[in-house]
Amino acid sequence: MNYPDVSRLLTSERAVLRRVVHRSAAIAGLCMLSVLPVSDVEIPGTQFNLSLINAGWAQPVELSALDNLTRGNELLLRGSYLGAIEAFNSVREDAWREQAALGLSKAMAMTGQYDQAIAAVRALVRDPAASPLAATQLAELYRMTGRSAEAQELLAQVVAGQLNPPVRTLVQYGLVLDLRGELDEAAVQFNAALARYDSGLVFDSADVGMVALAAWKLDEFHDANALFAEAVRLDSNNLEALTLWGDLFQEKFNDADAETNYNLALTINRRYTPALTGMARISSPERYLAMSLEVNARDVAALETYGLLMVRNYQQDTGRDYLDKALAVNPESVTALSSLAALAAINDDMPAFDALLQRVNAFSPESSEFFAGVADYLGNNYRFTEAVAYARRAIARDPNNWHAHTVLGGNLVRLGEEVEGKQHLEMAFDNDPFNVMTSNMLQVFDVLEGYATLETEHFRVNMSHRDAQVLWPYMAPLLEESWQNLVEKYQFEPEVPVVIQVFERTEDFAVRSVGLPDIGPLVGICFGKVVTLISPDTLSANWQEILWHELVHVFTLQMTQNRMPRWLSEGISTWEERQARPEWGRRLGLELVRAVEQGQLLPVSNLNEGFTGANSNADLSFAYFQSYLVVEYIAEQYGFEKLRELIMEYAYIRDESEMFANVFEMDMVSFDNGFRDWIQQRVDQINVYVHVEDSDDEGAGHGHGVRENNSAVLAELYNNESLKQHMRGRVEQQPRDFQAHLQLGIVLFREAAYDEAIFHLQTAQGILPDYSGYPSPSLVLAQIYEAQGNTEAMMAQLAVMLQNQQHDYASALKLAEAALAAGDTGQADYYLSRALAVDPYEPQIHRSGAQLAQQLGDTGRAVREFEVLVMLDQSDPVDARTNLAGAYLDNQQLDQARLTVLRALETAPGYQRAQDILLRAVERSGQSSEVITQP
Amino acid sequence: MMRAFQLLLVSVLLWCGSVFAQTEQPVGQSGSGSEDTPWFQQTPQNSKFALIIVGASANDEIRSRLRGWVTDLHASLREDYGYDSDAIELLIDDGSNVGNAASIVSGGSRVADIEAAIERIRSRSNAGDQLTVFLFGHGSSTFGDAKFNNVGPDMTGSELADMLSPLTGIDMVMFNTTSASFEFSRELAGLGRVVVSATRSAAERYDPLFGGFLVTALQQKRADIDRNARVSVLEVFNYASGQVSQWYRDQDRLSTENAVLDDSGDGLFSREPGTGQPDGLLAEIAYINVISAGTQKTSAEALRLTAEMQSIEREIFILRNQKVNYLEEDYWKRLEALLIDLATRTRRYNELP
Repeated sequence: MNYPDVSRLLTSERAVLRRVVHRSAAIAGLCMLSVLPVSDVEIPGTQFNLSLINAGWAQPVELSALDNLTRGNELLLRGSYLGAIEAFNSVREDAWREQAALGLSKAMAMTGQYDQAIAAVRALVRDPAASPLAATQLAELYRMTGRSAEAQELLAQVVAGQLNPPVRTLVQYGLVLDLRGELDEAAVQFNAALARYDSGLVFDSADVGMVALAAWKLDEFHDANALFAEAVRLDSNNLEALTLWGDLFQEKFNDADAETNYNLALTINRRYTPALTGMARISSPERYLAMSLEVNARDVAALETYGLLMVRNYQQDTGRDYLDKALAVNPESVTALSSLAALAAINDDMPAFDALLQRVNAFSPESSEFFAGVADYLGNNYRFTEAVAYARRAIARDPNNWHAHTVLGGNLVRLGEEVEGKQHLEMAFDNDPFNVMTSNMLQVFDVLEGYATLETEHFRVNMSHRDAQVLWPYMAPLLEESWQNLVEKYQFEPEVPVVIQVFERTEDFAVRSVGLPDIGPLVGICFGKVVTLISPDTLSANWQEILWHELVHVFTLQMTQNRMPRWLSEGISTWEERQARPEWGRRLGLELVRAVEQGQLLPVSNLNEGFTGANSNADLSFAYFQSYLVVEYIAEQYGFEKLRELIMEYAYIRDESEMFANVFEMDMVSFDNGFRDWIQQRVDQINVYVHVEDSDDEGAGHGHGVRENNSAVLAELYNNESLKQHMRGRVEQQPRDFQAHLQLGIVLFREAAYDEAIFHLQTAQGILPDYSGYPSPSLVLAQIYEAQGNTEAMMAQLAVMLQNQQHDYASALKLAEAALAAGDTGQADYYLSRALAVDPYEPQIHRSGAQLAQQLGDTGRAVREFEVLVMLDQSDPVDARTNLAGAYLDNQQLDQARLTVLRALETAPGYQRAQDILLRAVERSGQSSEVITQP
Repeated sequence: MMRAFQLLLVSVLLWCGSVFAQTEQPVGQSGSGSEDTPWFQQTPQNSKFALIIVGASANDEIRSRLRGWVTDLHASLREDYGYDSDAIELLIDDGSNVGNAASIVSGGSRVADIEAAIERIRSRSNAGDQLTVFLFGHGSSTFGDAKFNNVGPDMTGSELADMLSPLTGIDMVMFNTTSASFEFSRELAGLGRVVVSATRSAAERYDPLFGGFLVTALQQKRADIDRNARVSVLEVFNYASGQVSQWYRDQDRLSTENAVLDDSGDGLFSREPGTGQPDGLLAEIAYINVISAGTQKTSAEALRLTAEMQSIEREIFILRNQKVNYLEEDYWKRLEALLIDLATRTRRYNELP
């Protein structure tokens, strides 16, 4: 199926993690460095100088209260929080005590000492209206620690008691109201902040940053962007504005600008946790989160982000721990609560879900963000139906939750509900045009509108008109063949129609699949009812194998209501490849032996880690391979019915060990031991020596592409004596060193030492007769026989090669043409189908196909081939159309014959072959010159 | 204003005579259009000449490749298009080191050699004859004038134009296949001339593939898209430029060359000449083939059918050029009627003894 890779923080993950941005950082208001160093007090004649601090560290001197306050603020700005706490604590004079208490509170909050931070500032707030800044800061701390009701009460007093409450108070009040579900009231406060700015009364950088946040909350994204820019222009050290601005960029999937902002903030303060957490959502998450948590082990945003990261990497227990830690600090973290609720929902643990919902309802009834978060998570875990239900609930609570509209639209599309999905995406885009994911997905709708829609009994397919003409004639029968085969085999009939979308551009495929244009090496994705594919026109791989692989996912996912783990789903799809065609799929050879020798095999209970812990495409490819091995083992040792039983187990939420016990009547350890014994038997049977200096074959598209033998490719490039000598040494030491024999054969072939080359290549062939890499012994043997003029032997070797190499259309075509020349229509048909499975866009395949059809007297097939050639053979359109017209005529399609030959004769009116077809078509149709319709 | 006038002139002339400009008519019989068209009205009485100029090569590999192309071209002109060997002037490099092409090479491609070859052609040609010039090799336009790199002083486009100026009354076709050929070709543009450049700007400086595909297009009349057994310059251009585009597509590379054609004489070249374009109408009737009297059926019935076929063919051309003025259905209905008529008469003609 090629699920999106979740092993690293790829695009789809980032898309989800960035949700945390909106909810955790900006809205939760973790940016505590809003106040400039003594920015709101007059300090005449004071020019703070860092050298003073440095000097102060080197040589302690007696500093005044103002010096300590200034130093405290500067240390706070630079991230020396403990130093800042010490400096603020040194301020004894009453005149500066409030400022020092505010700074102290912020420094303590930045290091996670929330109770002390609250205590430091609470003493200042006897009358909230009289101490608006202190009261506001106290309210922010209350909100950060899950005391939103107290925060609301406090801020309400400030707003009520002040004619012109501070801008920060208005915005923070709005955020608290928003959190508590009082959306209209929140909008009033945000609008009041904007009105203050519009009246020209906001000058301070920190306040402008707050106005920007208010604009963001009111979905005035353009204004928010401009205001953040102004805030940073007014004060380049405004870390809060820099980071919130980055958060805004990130929410709109503009990682590049977000990263720039976070980096600017980290240049000023490399310990500024909101920026560190922001960076973690873009790249190197573990590194940045570790840095963030080192500064503040109770940083809620960092804990939430870490928790989500773990959960998405299938480490649910660890993830839960982090989310619980976040909730211990802030019991009102919507992100943490919705993430835990999503985990409960995905495990069908509805009591736990309801408990979490009740916790949210206690402070924010029917929180739209809560349901949107659950929906997003479920959608990213293939639970599209439930995702749609929760997204609808989010929208019911807040129809202006554009993120929820995007989640709903995206998941409806994955369920094949395109019309309604598009409506929600358009609604989201109209109100949030800066969301790149939404606009990308809508652009793909534009692409699809230009595509053809084709149908078979069980499938509805969208593809380009070029593919509709070239690919569809060969895809349609394969689809129905797979349906018939798999329905019978799995005793299950998926919901129809299965939607298949074939994209010409990789970017469109990626956006349709995960919303963003970067999807890595994937070539096809199955969502259960919808399959997305890259057009074979942009691949050099066997598209039929890829299609079959994805169609198997349709069955296994639907059989389990999309609850199957990735390893088993991939394992079955990969295993089914070879069941469908002997030349498809993986082989038990060098890769297996090397994996066993290097101890790469994971316990069966940890197979998903192969996917989640993959650090490279090669790792991921191996994860597919090992999953396939387990399925092969089950099918061979226990029979297919047991495999089917195991699939059905996953339709229920149970512990994996329980499922294995139900099916195999043993625990996972015993099963794993049996698997390893079986693997060892296979390794013994293969009996090949794997040299440590050789590398793995590398294939594109998780093994769907040509698997290149890099060691042998090098041998082709370097024809030197030392390589030959070295390989001779290797085969003397290890006579079953496949690679050494192959490389020797290649080198000797280059030197035209054919007899010796043949010996080594035949030896290699004997060691691994089903080797599927490139180049293979049979390929090089074929080249030797060609050089020797021994066509028969060459063809024989090409045929051997094609038994295991599925991506070589040229050899298949060569064999087909030879069979055609020999009149062997059966072989010609077989090899042409092999060529078509790789490159249906190669005109020569269709020319040969037409020739075969004519030999067979199959006029319908001839028509099909010439129809394709009209599309593909642009060098001589007159001839192509004339051929097609002739085929139509032979197939009694008289109207099409006339229409087609007219197009040829329009260009070449004197072309007598075409004239003859026209006259014959007219004569047969019994009409004179009546034109049927437009060509 | 001048350009508009020229275009109108060419269009009107072609409108009247395009069908018959190069049809192989019985001796003494001329189509109605031929009397009105001042260019490319060759009859079996007219001669056609080819001047193939291969410049200096940067290395042996290029020399070998260019020699292969022009050797093939020389053979194709003779075998596929009816040129006499002595009607083809093949000038290569310094005239020596030409391998197995010695028997067909007339000399080197120094400016003096080119002048001498043109003079030989002039002395043997008459008004109404046709000369096709093929330029192969390297071009440059880095330092002022665009130049063709030949042995000795490089030749500019205006110098070649001057050298060709004595050939008054001779219809001319130029294929410049060199790198940076555009500026050079522009100097050769003129009323009644068809000029093809492998590149469309001075910036396209890499050795073009166009020359090779040009030869391929001519060989075995591959470019004869309308299957009339004659190959027009437009057909050659379309075939070769299409192959170039396909090559770059296949390689998944951005094209570094874009062939262009000018036949309206204004020096403004078109990338896609043809119907509805400023250029292409003259190139459509400028044929590479030498016209021969051929073997004609001479019975009264044959002559009548020939005349009728030519008349229908002319109607088809006119209808095709007026396609945008018809409703789609009406157009195809009319076209089918004409095509059936033409096919019926062609069949009857073929059945005559």
